[in-house]
Amino acid sequence: MALLEIKDLHASVADKPILKGINLTIKPGEVHAIMGPNGSGKSTLSNVLAGNEAYTKTGGQVLFDGIDIDDLAAHERARAGMFLAFQYPVEIAGISNMYFLKAAVNAVREYQGKDQLDAMDFLDLIEEKKKVVKIRDDLLERAVNSGFSGGEKKRNEIFQMAMLEPKLGILDETDSGLDIDALRIVSDGVNALRSPDRGFLVITHYQRLLDYIVPDHVHVLVHGQIVKSGGKELALELENEGYNTWVDEKGA
Amino acid sequence: MDLKDLRKKAEVDFKTNGFPTTKEELWRFTDVSRVAGAEFSNDWKISDLEFQPLDKITVVFENGKLSREKSNFEDLPTGVCIGSVLDLVDPRIGTLADAQSAFVAANTAYFGDGAFIEVTEGVEMDTPIHLVYLADVDGAAFHMRNFISAGKGAAVTVIEEYIGLAGATYWTNVVTEAFVADGGLVDHYKVQRESESAYHFQTLEANLGTGSVFSNHAVTLGGALGRNDIRGKLIGEEGEAICNGLYLLKDKQLFDTHIFMDHAVPKCNSHELYKGILDDKARAVFCGRILVQKDAQETDAIQSNGNLLLSRGAKVNTLPQLEIYADDVKCTHGATIGEMDDVALYYLQTRGIDPVQGHAMLTFAFANEVLDEVKCKPAKRYIEELVHDWLHKVAK
Repeated sequence: MALLEIKDLHASVADKPILKGINLTIKPGEVHAIMGPNGSGKSTLSNVLAGNEAYTKTGGQVLFDGIDIDDLAAHERARAGMFLAFQYPVEIAGISNMYFLKAAVNAVREYQGKDQLDAMDFLDLIEEKKKVVKIRDDLLERAVNSGFSGGEKKRNEIFQMAMLEPKLGILDETDSGLDIDALRIVSDGVNALRSPDRGFLVITHYQRLLDYIVPDHVHVLVHGQIVKSGGKELALELENEGYNTWVDEKGA
Repeated sequence: MDLKDLRKKAEVDFKTNGFPTTKEELWRFTDVSRVAGAEFSNDWKISDLEFQPLDKITVVFENGKLSREKSNFEDLPTGVCIGSVLDLVDPRIGTLADAQSAFVAANTAYFGDGAFIEVTEGVEMDTPIHLVYLADVDGAAFHMRNFISAGKGAAVTVIEEYIGLAGATYWTNVVTEAFVADGGLVDHYKVQRESESAYHFQTLEANLGTGSVFSNHAVTLGGALGRNDIRGKLIGEEGEAICNGLYLLKDKQLFDTHIFMDHAVPKCNSHELYKGILDDKARAVFCGRILVQKDAQETDAIQSNGNLLLSRGAKVNTLPQLEIYADDVKCTHGATIGEMDDVALYYLQTRGIDPVQGHAMLTFAFANEVLDEVKCKPAKRYIEELVHDWLHKVAK
């Protein structure tokens, strides 16, 4: 069964149509990349999938692990195994990263019918995941993303993903604002999380990220539609030729 | 003027001038006619209310009178004196509180009891002193007078807690005068959990000597109508006044905070951090006045008041007032009134946290900045518990 099946998805933001018929299927173990210029609908796609109420799905169907996502609120999608790594992770003053992670992990575990983790088990899990995604202890103690650098925020997103062990990881322009070292650390974390039963949707403007997270499939998103799909070589093609071919054709 | 004459004069003043009205600038947003128009009597009786002692030392007042039976302050270190303000005498009582205030005048004229706490030079008192005021007489007025004195280099922690019987309508009118001598430290807390029908007013005045620290945390949950008037007088160089607060209001509660920081001398700090969470049709008033006098160079004064409105019907009036007559100073103020952050709520949701829990987490986080500043551990634990309980009640 497909992990994510998007069929003729239409969506709008503040009554403005953005996505105009997206079709995409991700099977477990696959990494799909969506590339596109600014304004093509990349972030709208990730937000509609994650259940942001500021975005309205106006048509089509999305099945996540066989369930119609219309039946699931954002937190239920997360509990069912969908994870969105934000382009701009939100700063939350007054809640420590540790407290936040514990609440999230236990919310997901409750859905899965597993016991709640106590403080000791939770710390063990933190230690285990720190081997996958390196994160400084002081960042775990501090308020969620508060005063974190751009790289630290993105690393925190990937650390959260490691903690929650989702079935599908959606990375929304995770490379934006990262220098080459941070990009490598974040990519190493994602690569360590790749597994035969986990899928990824990597959304990016630039090919650079795909040097580190090598995709199985690449799709080009322009004006709310996928205009071309191919293998990883398509990313290199885009790097050389840019998006102009499609943008001009559509008369943007 | 000795205390006896002071009390006679206050009674005359109060009878002549009466209560303030909303025509007066300091009372513009807070109408006290409900208190002014009510009749209060003082028939004493034993209180059935329970309380949770925060540490070994408790001083309990039941319906306005010291209860030696319920209190525990017999075993004190040398240099520490605790008792009733009626039994122990200090010529400074009544010299600090603003005689112009009707509530102070009424208190001075009619106070029936209160705590007397004195820690002499160089004595550092580790155990916090928990003052508990129990009120369960409908229609009563409780005028409580507290006196706190920390000698040179002395340190003391005092927690005033006001507890009322649900549904009882009464008037608590407190005056607390705190004298902090050079190098002294007074860490003061006030937890107001009066009945939801009660009226609660307190005037808290502190005098800060050279290099001394006075810190106050005011946590307000109770009362139909309430006000804290807090005045810090920085009269010795390098003094530090910390004035933090948290008010959690619902239904039709109205709570007013007036702070006046008076920087009279150079090199003093005053920091004010106030947060409010309001639900239903609750109202809050925050007025923070900072006066930096001509000689008070190198003053560092920070004031911040943040409010989170959980309903459309809640309302806040926040008024920073900076009066600066010195030229080498650092003064900042900020006030915010906002609603729940939907983006943060969405972020929590994408991590599996449902909106009800997310709402509670974000609301607690908003209050937490103030709790973080609480140094006294038993007080901190207790206040956190109260905040959680309150948030649980307002969770929809």
